Amino acid sequence: MAKHRLAVALLATSFLTGAASAATLDVAMDTSPAGLDPHLVTAFNSVLIVQSNIYQGLTDTTAGLQVVPSLADSWEISADGLTYTFKLASGVTFHDGTGFDAEDVAASIRRVQSPEIASPLASRISPITGIRVIDPMTIEFTLSAPFAPLLSSLAGIAIVPAEAETNKEALQQVPVGTGPFKFAEWQPNGFISLVKFDGYRVAGKPQVDMVKFHFVPEAATRQVGLASGEYDMLPSIDPATALQLTGQPGITVHQTRDLGYTLVGMNTTRGPLGDPRVREAVNMLLDRQEIIDGALFGAGVPGGPLSPALVDWALPTSDFACYTQNVEGAKALLAAAGVTGPVKIVMKVLPRQDTRDIAQVVQQQLAAGGFAVELVNQEIGQFVQDWRNSEFDMFVSANGGSVDPDQYFYRTFYSGGSTNVFKYDDAGLNALLDAGRNVTDPAARKAAYDAAQMQLACTGPIAHIAYGSLSTAVGPKVSGFEINPLGRLTSLVNVTLSE
Amino acid sequence: MHSLRQNKLLAFALAFVVVQVVLALAAPWLGFQDPFRQIMSQRIKAPNEVNWLGTDQLGRDVLARIVWGARTSLFSTATAVSLALLAGGTIGLLAAYYRGWFDRIVMRTMDVLFAFPILLLAIGVISVLGPNAWSAAIAIAIVYTPIFARLLRGPALVLCEAEYVLGARAVGASDLRIIGSHILPNLVSVILVQTSILLSAAILVEASLSFLGLGAQPPTPSLGLMLSEGRNFLLLSPWPAVFAGIAILLLSFGFNLLGDALRDTLDPRLRDAEAVAQ
Amino acid sequence: MNTRFLIGRFIDLCFVLFGVSIIVFLMIRLIPGDAVAIMLGANTEITPDRIAELRDRLGLDDPLLVQYGHWLWGVVQGDLGTSIWTGRPVLGEIASAIWPTVELTALSVLVGAGLSVPIGAFMAQARGGAAEVAVRIGAIAGLTIPSFWLGIVSIFLVAKLLPGVSALGYVPFTDNPLGNLQRMVLPVIALSLPMLANLSRLVRSAMLDALGQDYVRTARAKGASRRRVVYRHALRNALIPFVTSVGVSVGYLLGGAIVVEQVFAIPGLGRLVLGAISERNYPLVQATILVITATFVLVNFAVDLLYAAIDPRVTN
Repeated sequence: MAKHRLAVALLATSFLTGAASAATLDVAMDTSPAGLDPHLVTAFNSVLIVQSNIYQGLTDTTAGLQVVPSLADSWEISADGLTYTFKLASGVTFHDGTGFDAEDVAASIRRVQSPEIASPLASRISPITGIRVIDPMTIEFTLSAPFAPLLSSLAGIAIVPAEAETNKEALQQVPVGTGPFKFAEWQPNGFISLVKFDGYRVAGKPQVDMVKFHFVPEAATRQVGLASGEYDMLPSIDPATALQLTGQPGITVHQTRDLGYTLVGMNTTRGPLGDPRVREAVNMLLDRQEIIDGALFGAGVPGGPLSPALVDWALPTSDFACYTQNVEGAKALLAAAGVTGPVKIVMKVLPRQDTRDIAQVVQQQLAAGGFAVELVNQEIGQFVQDWRNSEFDMFVSANGGSVDPDQYFYRTFYSGGSTNVFKYDDAGLNALLDAGRNVTDPAARKAAYDAAQMQLACTGPIAHIAYGSLSTAVGPKVSGFEINPLGRLTSLVNVTLSE
Repeated sequence: MHSLRQNKLLAFALAFVVVQVVLALAAPWLGFQDPFRQIMSQRIKAPNEVNWLGTDQLGRDVLARIVWGARTSLFSTATAVSLALLAGGTIGLLAAYYRGWFDRIVMRTMDVLFAFPILLLAIGVISVLGPNAWSAAIAIAIVYTPIFARLLRGPALVLCEAEYVLGARAVGASDLRIIGSHILPNLVSVILVQTSILLSAAILVEASLSFLGLGAQPPTPSLGLMLSEGRNFLLLSPWPAVFAGIAILLLSFGFNLLGDALRDTLDPRLRDAEAVAQ
Repeated sequence: MNTRFLIGRFIDLCFVLFGVSIIVFLMIRLIPGDAVAIMLGANTEITPDRIAELRDRLGLDDPLLVQYGHWLWGVVQGDLGTSIWTGRPVLGEIASAIWPTVELTALSVLVGAGLSVPIGAFMAQARGGAAEVAVRIGAIAGLTIPSFWLGIVSIFLVAKLLPGVSALGYVPFTDNPLGNLQRMVLPVIALSLPMLANLSRLVRSAMLDALGQDYVRTARAKGASRRRVVYRHALRNALIPFVTSVGVSVGYLLGGAIVVEQVFAIPGLGRLVLGAISERNYPLVQATILVITATFVLVNFAVDLLYAAIDPRVTN
């Protein structure tokens, strides 16, 4: 009798697990997003889940870093660069069944710009001053000044239903988009599950019925879970995990050059760090390859102010003299700057394993030039607060990247820029960045950004360390996955699962 | 016959603890490698002649970092337990001696702290103070204070009712004198046993906190931190994580065994503290 | 059991919970960096005006006393607040996270308390020589092995030795009973080991005490079997300290569950509270800690009552 019951239970179990695993893609990542509103929550894990799968923008960015149509079918830009006219895709519906048209686009842009919603994305589209709905499938934006990066910026602005324009709460709880997957359930610190949206505009896609994002804080646990088949995909894994999973049976590690970078930031209002010669000396004391070997398990390349993945823009590091380690040269520069004796530096560290290790190696390398660096490892909330308030001498952190140089530079280095926490203030650089933003001639833009890179690499407020590898590991059942250099998971729509 | 075996156990436990403590305290002078020195060409090496326990992800000697880590751990926990003994012991003694409303209010306040799971309260305290070795020590001191208060109040209550204490009170001896010369000396064995056992538990708590990133911070050598960093590359090289775990076990084991042996020798009827101390 | 004793204990209980609520409320607000910082993450472009608007939107700008008053008034009415992130009542969030923890803790108590009786009894009988030293050292090792270390090492060992066995995460018992129990094995071992070691020692010493008592010798002399004597008389003697210790252990288990849930990816209360602290989700932290401590205090209240029922002297 007992045996019989056990057999029934076994049967039931295998039936249940079989049914569930046949169509569910199990993804494991470290933390739960802080809310689901795509205009409000901009942290990386939220982008990965919500912005990539539930929503779409007018444009999209491909793995090859090209800006391509998404909800907009095509667009025209006026000769003066001040008017953009978008033709919208037809036959698109939201997850709640309502149709998509130009009013939704207009409402979404207004929502991002509205003070009540308080979206951090507002500055990305701040040049848009006029929105005009021409017909249900055509919309026109007027700009206050030419803004070359607008099309790539729009890829990050999720289009929401017009009804949500003034609603602060609804989208935080139940997102409604036009993307391939619709929201099903959120158990905070447990999982978020999305199900296939039957009304998706591309017939036959997506091919999996359900995607479940499990929140698993331990890297070691995620790694074992992938190996044992508990999870099918680990997006954006750290270099040590990638190295350990590479070559394991059935596991594929997809890699691409990261657009984001690790950095040492310097506060230009703190003591000797205000002197460009001292910042150049810091660069000369660093051995970037040693840092990459030690802290990134060799997975990364030294880089300048732009990612080498931006092949049309980035200058090679061989152009930057200060990238060759030169302790004597650094000491000479420090002496010329009038710096004598040990320089006491408090360095705040973003709480990630790679940044912690980078900080330890940097601490040792800077010691050779007479910098006495004290490391302060902080919890994320405290780090962000101090970072925003410029409460640091130096910090070690990681910045995300983009497809356009403007997004790397303008907000970070322009005087008073929204993330210029270094208080860097240089009129020459401001002029170069204005030129890059307002000039539409590609050659002239290139010249401006070349000059900006030359200046920023050695004497800017950031010592750029490395562009890592972005790695996503997938299990044996998954095919059709393509990694995106922005870390987005937009290719889940093409993924299929085999038994 | 029985007591001979007990003495042997006590001697063994004492020797075990003393060896570890001396190793840790004297680490800077014992010729270990520099625990901070990074050699990138020697990263994540298995045990070999130069690095007896291998190297970590930045090419630092694991043996040196373990010995220094034990030092960090002992400093933190010894500070924490001493503070807790001082505060909790005083509270427990006074509560037992004065009884009444004082006892009630003080012990209910201790109950409030005691109601938190230890790790949770410690995490909260550290979040406020900022993560580092000192915060961890203070957090552990706070969570252990009510434990000491409860552990000492019980036996002290019994002593306060003893004939000679009542006698001393009757002839008008000062409170301080009664507590100092009549009650406290009789609590020495309780204190020794429980301190030893709580040290053992505190070592585990400190390691848990460091493991969660809330204790000593890099580049400080710390056992919990080594384990926490080492687990990220366990398949490449299990050595740092495995040896750090064993070191935590040995440290904690030593103090627990010592407490156990002391109890057998001094006061076999004492109750355990460890049920509440982790 | 008299009413005065009951009322007194009940007042104490309310006092403790009130104290806990104040400490939690103040503590979480003293932590530097608020919910807005967490929400934005590092390196987000945003103006100070926008940040002020966000803070206002999340209700972070009221004076502390006002916030506490609001909260306490809600709690009295059974409303523990809403989560900052999801906007859902925190009670619902707690309800969805409570079962994994309840199951983990209950199984650990069952295993720890259940096995400790035979093991303790065995230890009491194995006196002298190598056997006694071995069980004793084994018990201390069980108490002092770091559970997070044991957890990680066992996860890797299982993955190496039994590939394909799911030992991580959580599936509800009602969905998949076998899968549920299979995933509970390692966490329960990691969590119950120290408790098992502690209770076994307690059973052992209580039994050694009892075996030396007159009535046990008498029972033996009257011809009762050794087994019967050990289990009937000696165990009854061990009952009171045993029950108290189990009650106190519940607190230990709830704390230990924080680390074990973290390592084994179990979406329980421990994960919920750690996540809520790091996200500065104030209402959720307050409510979760209040639930955890209230459970602990109530279990111990129940133990006190039981204690009083077994041994009427304590009520006087």
